[in-house]
Amino acid sequence: MGKLVTEMLKGTLEGIVLAILSGRPAYGYEITAWLREQGFSDIAEGTIYALLVRIEQRGLVDVEKVPSEKGPPRKVYSLNDQGREYLEEFWRTWSFLADRLEQLRKGGK
Amino acid sequence: MTTGSNEPKSRYLQYLEIVTGSLEEKKRYRQYKARIKQLPENYRIAVEALERYLMHFGPADGAGAMAMYDDLAELFEQGAADGTPIRDIFGADPVEFVEAFMANYPLGQYRTRERNRFTSAIERAAGENTTTKDRTD
Repeated sequence: MGKLVTEMLKGTLEGIVLAILSGRPAYGYEITAWLREQGFSDIAEGTIYALLVRIEQRGLVDVEKVPSEKGPPRKVYSLNDQGREYLEEFWRTWSFLADRLEQLRKGGK
Repeated sequence: MTTGSNEPKSRYLQYLEIVTGSLEEKKRYRQYKARIKQLPENYRIAVEALERYLMHFGPADGAGAMAMYDDLAELFEQGAADGTPIRDIFGADPVEFVEAFMANYPLGQYRTRERNRFTSAIERAAGENTTTKDRTD
């Protein structure tokens, strides 16, 4: 994955993760693994962890600690109402942006 | 994400901490150090490099720093347990990761202080009547 996609992802990764969590609760490693499968191969696990800390601080997700066989308990993240609201706003903004860019590409204004 | 008791401190402890800094924080920092010591060597080396960066640019001390160190230990304990390669944790550009991580703990960062000071100065210079100053510290 090139530098450009990394830059473009910066503003959208939060929405992507919230969208993943809107399907079902997940822990950090599952989210990273899913993103890798989808071709976002350069995403650092640490970056996803930092993002999860941030959305937890902002109250967009609920966190449950689940004991694991190896290592510390895993934090399982699920989208809450506030997160769902934020995700809707994300999609609205995304549509606006995608629409305007498509017009630009077609040479309109 | 803050721990520590809410019981009022004895007067003795209050005076003592003026001299020594928060004892609770010192204890938490020692606990963090002990957790890092348990990590496999390559993870430990990576965390220590990360710490050095955080010492320069991260929160100096206080609750912000302690929350940060707890989260840091958790990330690497999990990574070590899963056997996640160091490069997968840090990514191609480790600086990008550390900056994203650090941004979650604005309390006590000199950058936060200076950003707020700068923002207020520009608001004043622009003649805006504002009461938003020092939002996070």
